Amino acid sequence: MKLLEKLFDRAAPHFQPGGRLHRWFPLFEATDSFLLGSGERAATAPHVRDAMDLKRIMISVIVALLPCVIMAIWNTGYQANSTLAAMGLPCPGGWRGHLLAAVGCDPNSLVSNLYHGALYFVPIYLVSVLAGGLWECIFNLVRGHEMSEAFLVTSLLFALILPPTIPLWQVALGISFGVIFAKEVFGGVGMNFMNPALAARAFIFFAYPGQMSGDQIWTAVDGVSSATALSTLASGAPGHALANLNISWWQAFIGTIPGSMGETSTLACLIGAAALLVVGIASWRVMLGMLLGGIGCSLLFYMIGSDVNPMFSVPPHWHLVLGGFAFGLVFMATDPVTAPHTFTGRWIYGALIGALAILIRVANPGFPEGVMLAILLGNVFAPLLDYFVEQANIKRRMLRHG
Amino acid sequence: MAKESFFKPFYSVLVLAFVCSFLVSLASVGLRPLQENNRALERKKNILLAAGLLHGDTKDKDIDTLFAQVEPRIIDLATGAFVSPKVIDPKTFDQSASTNDPQLSQPLPKDKDIAGVRRLEKYSLVYLVKDKGKLKEIVLPVRGKGLWSTMYGYVALDSDLRTIDGIAFYEHGETPGLGGEIENPAWEAGWQGKKIYDDEGKVAIKVAKGASKAKGKAASYEVDGLSGATLTGNGVQRLFHFWFDDQGFKPFLERLRGEEGKNG
Amino acid sequence: MAETTTRELLLRPIFHRNPIALLVLGICSALAVTGKMDTAFVMSVCVTVVVACSSFVISLVRHHIPSSVRIGIQIMVIATMVILVDQILKAFLFDLSKQLSIYVGLIITNCIVMGRAEGFAMNNPPKASFIDGLGNGLGYGFILMTVAFIRELFGSGSLFGVEILKLTSNGGWYVRNGLFLLPASAFFLIALLIWFMRTVDPDQQEKN
Repeated sequence: MKLLEKLFDRAAPHFQPGGRLHRWFPLFEATDSFLLGSGERAATAPHVRDAMDLKRIMISVIVALLPCVIMAIWNTGYQANSTLAAMGLPCPGGWRGHLLAAVGCDPNSLVSNLYHGALYFVPIYLVSVLAGGLWECIFNLVRGHEMSEAFLVTSLLFALILPPTIPLWQVALGISFGVIFAKEVFGGVGMNFMNPALAARAFIFFAYPGQMSGDQIWTAVDGVSSATALSTLASGAPGHALANLNISWWQAFIGTIPGSMGETSTLACLIGAAALLVVGIASWRVMLGMLLGGIGCSLLFYMIGSDVNPMFSVPPHWHLVLGGFAFGLVFMATDPVTAPHTFTGRWIYGALIGALAILIRVANPGFPEGVMLAILLGNVFAPLLDYFVEQANIKRRMLRHG
Repeated sequence: MAKESFFKPFYSVLVLAFVCSFLVSLASVGLRPLQENNRALERKKNILLAAGLLHGDTKDKDIDTLFAQVEPRIIDLATGAFVSPKVIDPKTFDQSASTNDPQLSQPLPKDKDIAGVRRLEKYSLVYLVKDKGKLKEIVLPVRGKGLWSTMYGYVALDSDLRTIDGIAFYEHGETPGLGGEIENPAWEAGWQGKKIYDDEGKVAIKVAKGASKAKGKAASYEVDGLSGATLTGNGVQRLFHFWFDDQGFKPFLERLRGEEGKNG
Repeated sequence: MAETTTRELLLRPIFHRNPIALLVLGICSALAVTGKMDTAFVMSVCVTVVVACSSFVISLVRHHIPSSVRIGIQIMVIATMVILVDQILKAFLFDLSKQLSIYVGLIITNCIVMGRAEGFAMNNPPKASFIDGLGNGLGYGFILMTVAFIRELFGSGSLFGVEILKLTSNGGWYVRNGLFLLPASAFFLIALLIWFMRTVDPDQQEKN
């Protein structure tokens, strides 16, 4: 460690303004602070004594995401293994088959499930980090900004909301779009008004809808196409949508169903939610608002009923455990940058997203899932909500104090 | 700028309005024959396309000669009988306008309107393709609701009146690249040789979800779906089930089959 | 209006004072018709003809237009031009006019046409107005063609309908990018173009 520190200390002057390698300072700073910790101090008063900084926020989010990551890896492997077992097929060929040969493809084996899942998750995650990090580097170098850990969170979130079968070049294309268009063009970390991971997902959704619409997916076995729970529901008989769904509510809650890797497990999302709330990063107002909005809207549809649209008959407690509702609620809607900053604004924002997500799911025949689009729309409204809440406050105070 | 009198605005507006309207009406009257010719040509092209008579290198001027083997007729949808050209002239009959005419069409009850056509016309055009006086193909106009829009197309039936010779969709507003692929000749070619009716005479044609996996006999009733466009595919299937059942062309086709039988 | 040469009148609106990129006018049709290069091309030609001719006519009669009804008269002239163009298209280029559908008719409401009529042709001689209209039409066309180039290439794998990248749906290798088939993608592309143009020519950046 001493050696490393000496090395960095010696190299430091070159990266300071005026130094030879000044342009590369952001990269140097990132490596330095990642390996050795930040040497930065507040130079002037006031000195706020709080351990929280951007770095810690981002690390905490990543820790809160861990249950989802583990669940994503296990479930991806479990889905693939059990499909193979059900069809009586041996382990798949190709490079994954070679690597799997040691443990086999047994859906009852924890190791095999984790291993098989990791073979899908890790490449997607690596591509997401590398491609996202590359753009982040380029923009930071050109602008002389410091690297931020935010892109680690973005690329992890992005990997978790993808299906396991997505081609890797689409992952790279998606994260590039998200980082450039949703974040960097607006000025980088903290300046974005949209969640970059969701923007990236939306890009892939619209660019390659054949692979992403969810009616033939997403189990990581070649040639197997099955529908996500939501599109099964949408094609069910009106009034009895649940009848042809062959999973139980508890399965959906725990997350042993096919779907986007990190989104299937509501349970893992809840653990993450608890972690985020305890640390105080995520806003409970947004979460509760979105929960109430979603329940309210789905209850409304459930009570109205419909002769033609099967989605009307999906009861609220099912809506909450299917698709990306829980994941979006815990990790996406609560993103501190893109959510409103006023308390009232957060309530409205959450409720708006929850209601819209269900509205798109149920009423729009083209899109089986609406959480992603609802949150992006909510992001767009966030500054407006803040503005109105502020104006209302100003008006009230004017009245009170003359 | 000149001083404005009270009357000047009226005066200049009048003169200009006169000049402009003159130009517009001149163009509209002078170009109308050409435009109508274009529209007719377009319709003929689509019919020939469905019938499989149009080739990539067919010139516009050859369309009329090709179309000579096609005989437009009008039928009464409910009874399936031909309507004499003396009663309604097929050359001037405007079928799409007739769907808005309360005399010539009526609203469909919701539970029967599976294709989402709203109002069903009394009379429909059909196009008989003849080869040396013998019926070779028959081209029927169909329409129905897809995911976002009403899709318009022609279906060509073989002379056995149950096998599809070809289809052509010519107007729709489905998502480009997904449902919009109903226009893709590669997909439309997949309909060739499929059977609309099963052996009992029931409408059996199906649009699969994704690639068709049906084997044997079932495969002759099933067409590949468009990937990522399940709902447009469902719309196409419902359109077939509407137009080839009792409310649509079934009475006509059965009648025709009877007559053909009689003629030997 | 300062003295400007014909050359400047013609070329300035293409890059330095582009009606779409700098003034952000005429966006509606730029989104709608740029899915294919041939429709974008025909649309560009139509708009260029309409702007140039209507500017010319309005400039010709500018001394006889009372200011109280000038907007009405401008619209009348523009509408006449648009209807003429639309009728001619329907008569001679039926296929393309079908694809352009209502967007040719909507040139009437294209702010570029009205803007040039009110902002330039009312105060300048016919020849200069004609050139100015021509330049603005070309500027509009430049953006349209650039956007359409990218959209058709990546969305449909072709240029002017000629296959360049063989699509998977036709047995090739290129997976079409559906986003570029949707009109919304033109927003991103125009934004990128504006970014690019303002970086090359910083005069276009708005001062805060």
